[in-house]
Amino acid sequence: MPYSLVGLCALVVSFLVASPPSWSYWVPFAALFVLLEFFAVEVNDRMRQSASVMVAMTAGVVLAMEPNSNAMFGLALMAALGPLTPLDFKERRWFQPLANFGQMVLAGAVAGFILDFYLGGVPVTTGSLPRVLLVSAVAAFAFTTVQTVLVRYAVRTVFGRGNLEPWSQMPFLFTGQVAMGLLGGLIGAAFLIAAREAIIVFIVGVYGIGHMSLYAFAQLRDSHIGSIRGFVKTLEAKDMYTRGHTERVAVFAQMIGEELGFSGTQLETVRWAALIHDLGKLAVPTALIRKRGRLDDDEYAEMKSHAHLVEEILAEVDFLQPMVEIASGHHSNFDGSGYGGRGHSDGYPPSLEACIVAVADSFDAMTSARSYRMALSQQYALAELRRHSGGQFHPEVVDAFERALNSAGQRWGAPHVNDEEMARRLAEEPELTLRG
Amino acid sequence: MASWSSRTLSITSWLFVLVIGGFGLYAAIVATGEPLRILVAVTALVVASLVGVAASNSGNQFTTGLAVAAAIPFVLGDGSGVDLPAAIASYGIGVALVWVLRYSRGEKHDDLLPTIVRRFFGYVTYATVYSALRVGPFTELSGEWKDLFPFGVALVAWIAVEVTLRALLVMGKRELSRTYLARALIHDLNVFLGLAMTGALFGELWPELHWWALPTSLLPYSFAHLAFRRFQETKVTYKQTIRALARIPEVSGLGVDGHADRTTELASAIAKEIGLGPVQVEDVEYAGLMHDIGRVSLNEPQILRRGYDDDDIARWSSEIIAESPYLSRVATHVRHQYQPHRKPGEQTDPDVSIVSRIIKVAAAYDWQVHRDRLSPLQALENLHAGAAYQYDPELVASLRRLLESRGVLVPVRA
Repeated sequence: MPYSLVGLCALVVSFLVASPPSWSYWVPFAALFVLLEFFAVEVNDRMRQSASVMVAMTAGVVLAMEPNSNAMFGLALMAALGPLTPLDFKERRWFQPLANFGQMVLAGAVAGFILDFYLGGVPVTTGSLPRVLLVSAVAAFAFTTVQTVLVRYAVRTVFGRGNLEPWSQMPFLFTGQVAMGLLGGLIGAAFLIAAREAIIVFIVGVYGIGHMSLYAFAQLRDSHIGSIRGFVKTLEAKDMYTRGHTERVAVFAQMIGEELGFSGTQLETVRWAALIHDLGKLAVPTALIRKRGRLDDDEYAEMKSHAHLVEEILAEVDFLQPMVEIASGHHSNFDGSGYGGRGHSDGYPPSLEACIVAVADSFDAMTSARSYRMALSQQYALAELRRHSGGQFHPEVVDAFERALNSAGQRWGAPHVNDEEMARRLAEEPELTLRG
Repeated sequence: MASWSSRTLSITSWLFVLVIGGFGLYAAIVATGEPLRILVAVTALVVASLVGVAASNSGNQFTTGLAVAAAIPFVLGDGSGVDLPAAIASYGIGVALVWVLRYSRGEKHDDLLPTIVRRFFGYVTYATVYSALRVGPFTELSGEWKDLFPFGVALVAWIAVEVTLRALLVMGKRELSRTYLARALIHDLNVFLGLAMTGALFGELWPELHWWALPTSLLPYSFAHLAFRRFQETKVTYKQTIRALARIPEVSGLGVDGHADRTTELASAIAKEIGLGPVQVEDVEYAGLMHDIGRVSLNEPQILRRGYDDDDIARWSSEIIAESPYLSRVATHVRHQYQPHRKPGEQTDPDVSIVSRIIKVAAAYDWQVHRDRLSPLQALENLHAGAAYQYDPELVASLRRLLESRGVLVPVRA
């Protein structure tokens, strides 16, 4: 709520301080701005890369350099329309559009002020172009900074500290946004110098074609992970005991990763690795997977092969190789024992990522029902993870998982805790009971 | 033309390149008297052609040279119109140089002659139409709406010539139908349009902004370029992943090794041979890869006890992919892959799509050759024998043409 008030104040102040923009320019630019906000492309789960900063800077330069027109109120008002996308109302909490509104208006007002101050009254010639570029870069920088700082602050208050880490993609986004702003400024000045319709058609045309590709790219990328997820889900669904296992392991792995300060690509990698960690098992006879009791040597060898199978299956997917290595090491123990493919070497601890998947996998195996036993409680499963911490499991990972589970507030596994004795008895069966 | 040896072809191509280049040189020196501007245009064309290759959907190659080419008629000339000989000369010299440089770098091109002919005539059409329309009220470049008219018409003419020649001029092995080639080019039009419009943008900005026109026109394009690339890279990765998943039954010993891969290759070749569009060809590829994925269920004890038939496998396969975004669009094709191509008493079965029918033919052929160890000819004969009901006769005919051109149909003596 304070954000929207700040935004409202900024809107009023800029209305009082600056003279209004040239409306004949403002209207089409605002329409384009809203359109681009609407088609913004997801960068990752919580963040969208939007090209609207480019349009904002184009509009800002035009409004600031045009005689009898100012950018400050125009940009603030335009930015106020940004959060009006149906997407926000459909998918997000009510808090977010409000916070967005505040931060956008403030960012627009600040950027507009900079443009007005340095570009107002500057002659519209090619000689002014270097100045326009510099100022629009500064304005775009300010626009993004105000947004970023406020967003970070908002996220911290709403989600708590633990969720701040995935936002470290910010610098990457930042460079992109400033470059977009620079481009916007250049186009704005070009528009004023050679202010003709044909030029706008071409710029919007080329840009639109690119944006369509980017949109298709984002959809395909989502389908990519979605396809694997859907695939694994359907295959798992055949066995009621492992149904949803992979999906849950991915959730746990992500929780641990975030708690350990993973971000961006690193976090994505762990999530992918979790999704594919049991792919090899699809190739192991179902009878073996469901077998009660101890496996004989041959069966154990066949069971072990699933760690290698994931490598064999995904060998030709270059993009997945780091994830495959993690997945193939998820039965490798922290003390260097255990088994696995490339991700395992006897006597050496596996990678941190493999340890994460191992803990997530074991936790889900314990807290969900199996054909040979009922689900164990979260409390018991955690105790078991702690008991093997330092041997089978990475101690830091176990600690991080415990912290993440506590702060998440959701409970997994059987609701009651007095199954200790039975669980202890079942836990005597190595590997299969503990591991999915 | 198909019987020309590659040597003759290569010599002819180079002769053509020399003729274009020679004509360009002649025009540059004798006809126009503008050597400096032509030199700049040629250099820009060569550099842009060698540096920027834009990723396209269906494998047609476009370089940023296309943008430079589109800009040339705007820039060469003055208020009274376009200097057409200079524009064509610049393009001719530029293209000739590009090919010489490419060749000296060891780059080989199967379709050198047709490609050069197509590009050259496409461009000459564009430049000529553009120049012819820059008369009357359209003579001067003003940046207003009216500037769009000559460019728009010339662009349409350029595309029309490119598409027509793409379909008509095919050399070497005739495995791709004309229809497919033309449709694939149309599918890649977004890249073509993006480049051509970038050139036009530069041309429109040039009179007022001079060299500032370069960054102003390049920046929107570089964004588009990046987007094209990201999309293509993701697409390649996606295909790799689906191919890998398709191998699960084979890795588990529940299918014939390489069956999914080979079926897909053959099915997509048939699809291209009979002239389906790139979107359908892609459907065929995904359906081919996934057609037997349901075999993963064959290690379930109950299923083995109860028994199963082909239709069960088709059902399981389609159930598995129905849950996946993007792949789900081929679920229906996979579901009907084992059904006969026609209903008794009717010409066809409307439920069985062309994609399903192609998969049926390709999968049956591969199964017989690689699992039942029949010779290619015997397998093909079996498909011909089943063409009354099981296999679509047109597709079997297409398969035969493909196998003939690949030279695998050797008669086996008993």
